Formats: sequence, structure tokens, C-alpha cells
Amino acid sequence: MSSSTVMPTTSSSYLSSSVMENNNHPDRQTFQKFFEFWMVEQEQHRQQLVSATKHRHGRRTINVAANQTTASEDEVETVLIPLIDRVMKHYEHYYSAKSKCAKQDVFGFLSPSWLSSLEDAFLWIGGWRPSMAFHLLYSKSGLQLEAIPLHHLINGISTDDLADLSPRQLVHVDGLQQSTIKEEKKITEMMAKHQETVADASMVELSHMVTELIMLKSSHTDSACLNGGGAEVEKERVDTTLALKEEGLEVILQRADDLRLRTLEAIVNDVLTPTQAVHFLIAAAELHLRLHDWGKKREAQIRCPQNSTT
Amino acid sequence: MAGICCELVESETSAPMEPTSRTLKRRKMELMPFKFMADVSVSSPVECSRKRHKLDLCSPSSSSASSLLLQSKRDSRVESCESKSQEENEGAKCNKEAWRLNNHDGEKSTNDAVQVYSPKFGMTSVCGRRRDMEDAVSIHPGFIQHEGSSASNQNLHFYGVFDGHGCSHVAFKCKDRLHEIVKEEVEVEKVDEPVVQWKETMEKSFERMDKEIQEWCDGIKTSNCRCELQTPQCDAVGSTAVVAIVTPEKIIVSNCGDSRAVLCRNGVAIPLSSDHKPDRPDELVRIEAAGGRVIYWDGPRVLGMLAMSRAIGDNYLKPYVISEPEVMITDRTDDDECLILASDGLWDVVSNDTACGVVRMCLRAQRQPSPPGSPGSEAVVRSAASCENSDKACSDASILLTKLALARHSTDNVSVVVVDLRRNYNQV
Repeated sequence: MSSSTVMPTTSSSYLSSSVMENNNHPDRQTFQKFFEFWMVEQEQHRQQLVSATKHRHGRRTINVAANQTTASEDEVETVLIPLIDRVMKHYEHYYSAKSKCAKQDVFGFLSPSWLSSLEDAFLWIGGWRPSMAFHLLYSKSGLQLEAIPLHHLINGISTDDLADLSPRQLVHVDGLQQSTIKEEKKITEMMAKHQETVADASMVELSHMVTELIMLKSSHTDSACLNGGGAEVEKERVDTTLALKEEGLEVILQRADDLRLRTLEAIVNDVLTPTQAVHFLIAAAELHLRLHDWGKKREAQIRCPQNSTT
Repeated sequence: MAGICCELVESETSAPMEPTSRTLKRRKMELMPFKFMADVSVSSPVECSRKRHKLDLCSPSSSSASSLLLQSKRDSRVESCESKSQEENEGAKCNKEAWRLNNHDGEKSTNDAVQVYSPKFGMTSVCGRRRDMEDAVSIHPGFIQHEGSSASNQNLHFYGVFDGHGCSHVAFKCKDRLHEIVKEEVEVEKVDEPVVQWKETMEKSFERMDKEIQEWCDGIKTSNCRCELQTPQCDAVGSTAVVAIVTPEKIIVSNCGDSRAVLCRNGVAIPLSSDHKPDRPDELVRIEAAGGRVIYWDGPRVLGMLAMSRAIGDNYLKPYVISEPEVMITDRTDDDECLILASDGLWDVVSNDTACGVVRMCLRAQRQPSPPGSPGSEAVVRSAASCENSDKACSDASILLTKLALARHSTDNVSVVVVDLRRNYNQV
């Protein structure tokens, strides 16, 4: 865990110190470390979010008793909103770091080594599927709704959580979901098209040419027909051809990440009330953190089955 | 009992009061959904709300249900209160909100003039956990008006839910056309007879609807749905249709497919349609008599393909799958409380009884007579609630049913229409 000289304390300080060290070329390991820091911070945020809801619940009971339902407005502004902003900044930070690092190594970001194979199995273009956010919202909202007796709902007892989605909010969510799915499909299609170019004429021709060269090399091992210059030219052609593929992937990954962040921001900032947003962000963090844990544990189990008692 | 409505207003007022950073971000982000909604489809609801087709509701026969959430207004007194409180509470945010139709101050005068009696209703239609939205809802209060009669409550109202399969275009065609076809049929018939023969009229209308779909399929393929380029697949697209026409005396429900209409009468749920499933005994006989087969493949399916025995469209399964509706005519009574029309996204997870119970309680939550000797404060809250949106209760009921369906893991699109049938209450 101590690859850099100064022990960094946050994901951002880690990334900036590593980038400095490596001449602005963060590598795969750098991002892996960044990711680990980021996950620790996400857990801290999760705890802050949870305590914000608890604090609020305590206050609300008092408020209800005192028949002042609007008294907690202050708290929304002074506590919840700054906290939500902080959590959202943290997500933004993740994506800007990712985007920076992905420029050097897009292949690595499409099959991230820092994720478990469990998380890997649910990846869509190097990250979570944007439409998943709506399922998360509906599932959490459903769980919170089911937790309330039906007659309470009908009588309009406010729960102030995701069970409380208003007609307006539901309509907004629905519209957002449909446009997100549309965009997601568009990017999937882009990816499909780009993946197909792995067998385009340039690639087929190049792979044939290089194969021929290898054959030639093996049959004339001692002849001087292949000098170093030929190998140089070959490597250069491979690099330029692959660079085109890489560029395309980079654009697609960027669009996918943009959609992820935009979806999250739209749900949190546009649709939900601050209190609801807190519940949503908790659910998102829990799912993310636990999936990562479970995946890591499974992998450890598979690697050494005898150690898997717990 | 301010009910759900007060709490709604409350939660919404919090939005404009947020501090700048968040508000700014909101502003910024708010543009985003519109930006990418703009290319969704030709009949994008955003278009409608931008151009404020909100007047639609005032002119009763226009196509009003292009929105996802509709609320009818009729009592101008109630409405003026409602508009005012909404304007105050939501201000500009209300205008920005797409897909929701509301009458605003400027339009009120028109509304007074065209004041038409129509039952209050609420409607919700969401994509839910599906990746495609194939449900469509069509609501046309006063789609047929009896001119000359002094009582404006001679008008007929149209409510329809269409659950598409294969693609959404059949459902959307039904939404756009079926009420017009029914109107034409009724008018043609009225020349000969003063009393409408509803069974024949509805059967004829469904037949015409189905023909139109066929012709449209055979002709120009100008739709913007995903099957547009795959001509052969156009035949494998269809939709359910459950349509309720509410007259002053009767409810005429015509059904084709597995969407459903349920009447709540004196607390009892009475289904007004019977789902067309391939394993329904009489449907099974009919399919087999026509030479078809019902094969169990993830449930009973006609030829192992379609999980319903009747539908509009689905040319490839004719004559086993037919578009002929079953028409059920019910006399309205004073005990009638509400009518619920919904797609199977609701009925798969919520029983008729539960749905009726929920809607009934939502409607009652707003009209409970103040108990004798109740404190004054409660009376104030109550009048504020009834003064608010006149059919807020219906809307709340439809939204609550939708949320319940989603909570119970409905995996389909969910569309719910709730119509308030209480007479003494409606005709203030």
C-alpha cells in the first residue's frame, strides 16, 4: 500500500501525487490505489448520510409533537444539502480521475483489474449500467413503501423518504428513465459498431501480414532477410492501427461515464427532495460497497477454498 | 384529514427554497432531460407541454391524453382555488415540469365558458422496470356531446388503456384513433336511432381500429418505433385495449386482451371485463375451433407465442387471435364509487379488491364529513384540501396503485386510470 513516497490520505491527494511522480502518466496501479481510497471515502460518506437521516428522524418526532412540520427546513439547508453536494462532488471527482487515467489506457478501463469478477459480470462499458439507477430507486422506494401500513399511506402520513415519491416526481423519474434508456441503447449500438471494426479490412490485412512475417522468420531463422528495420515498421503499423481502435473506445467510454454521472445527478438534484436524495445515496453506496466486498470474498474463496470458513 | 395532498404540496414547496449551489445545479440539470427528450419521438410529451397543449382539457373532444399525468377540472370554483394554490406553491417550477397538464390562470376564463361536467379522474403511466414503454393511455372527457340539451351532463366520456407488445405503435395508434372511431360510429348510428346500440358500435369500432392498423402496416412505414425497418415483424405487433365509455346512466366497457376494468361499488370490487387468456375455457375452445393451438411456453400462449387470446393487431396470429371485444354494459348506481382501468403491470401484482380498497380510501380521505365537535383547525385543513385540486384524490389513488405495483416487483409497464363515479359528489 505504500507505492508513493508521501503517504497520501485521500483519493485526490493520492492521485495528484502519483501523477506527479509518474510524469503525468497515471497507470493501472495508480488508478487501482485511487479506487481503493475512493471506496474508503465512500464508506465514510455512507456513514455521514446514515447519521444525517437518524438525526433528522429524531428531530422530526419532536417537530411532529410540537406541530411544526416546517421547522426542519433549516436543517435541510445547513446539513443535508451540503452533505449531498459533498457526496456528488465525490462522484464527480471519481469520473474526472477516471477520464484522465483512461486516456492512457482505455483497454484497462474496459476490463478493470481493480474490480472483482462478480462486479465485472454486471459491467456495462466499464461501469454500472445507467438504467440500473432507476431500478435502484424503484426497489428502495418499494421497500420503504412496503414498510408502511397501507392506511397510513392513504391517510397521507408523510414518511419523507423514497416511499413518498409524489406524482410529479414519478412522472419526472419515468421521463428520465426513458431518455436514459434511449441514450444507453445509442451508446450500446456505438459500442457494437466499434467492436465490429476489430475485423475490418485494416485489421485483417495487418494480422495476415504479421502472421506471414512470423512464418517467414521461423523458416529463415539464420537468414538476414528480416532486419531490425522491418520489425520497426511492423510495430509502427500495429500501433497506429490499434491506436484508432483505442480512440474509438475512449470516446465511447467517455460517453458512457458522462451518462452515468448525468443520470445520478439528475435523480439526486432534479427529482428527489434532499431527504429522499440522502436515502437514495445511501442505497447506492450500500449496493456498490457490498457488491465489491462480496466479489472480493468470493475471489478469495476460489483462490484458497480452505480459508473460506466465514 | 388533509390526506396525501397536503403533504404533497409541502414536499414540493421545499424545492424553490434551496440554497443557491443546489438550485443552480438543478437549473443546469433541468435542461438536460429536455435536451435528450427532444429526440425521443415525434409525439414527445415534452413538445406538448412546451407548447402548452394544456388547453386540451378545456375543449373536451380534443386529444388530451398525450401526457403521462392528467387531471380533469370541471368546477370553476374549485379550480380557481386550485390554480391559485398551485401557482403560489410551485411558481415557475410548475411550468418547467413536463408531461403534466395543468390549467393556469390565463386559461381560466376559457374554462369557465366551456364548463363541462365530467367525472374527476387521475392517471399514471410509467415504464417501470421494463426497458421499453409500450403502454398508452387515452382519456377524453366529453368526447361526445349532446348538443341542444340544456344539461351539460349528457356528455359521454372515454377512457382507454392500451398495452402494446412487440412494439409500441399499435398501442399508440389506438390511443390516437380509437375514440375518434367510436365517435364517428356513434354519430353514424344516431342518424337512424336515438339510442346507441353500444355492443354493435363498440364491436364495429374495434374492427375498424384493427383494419386501420393492418392498412397502416401494409402501407407506408413511417413510424419511429424500433420495428420500422423490419417489415415482416410489423405483423407481430399488437396491443390490448380496454375502453370504458361513461354515460350518465351507464358504463360500457369493451375489452380485448389482458388489461382490465374494475368497478368499485359500495366497497365491492366488480370486474367489468374478463381477461382474454389463451387458457380461459371458452377462449381455448374458440382458438381450437379456428384451427389454432395453445402451447405452454412460459405460460399458455396462442401457437406458443402470444400470451393473450385477443388483441388489436397481431396479424400473424389471425384468425386465432381476434380483435373482437367483449362488451359489458353496466347501469350506474348511486353506490358506484370508482372505476379503475389498468394494464397487467398492475393486475399481475395487485388484486381487484386491494386496488378498490386503495382507491376507495384515497377518495374518502378527502371527503370525510367533519366529525361533530371537531376542532376548528382540522376544518380549515379539510377545506383547504377540498379546495385544492378537485381530482387530486383520483390522481393520488392512481399514483399510489402504481407505486404499489412497483413495490411488489411488477416487471412490466404500469398504467392506471382512476375515475371518480360518485354522483352526488361529482355533480355539486
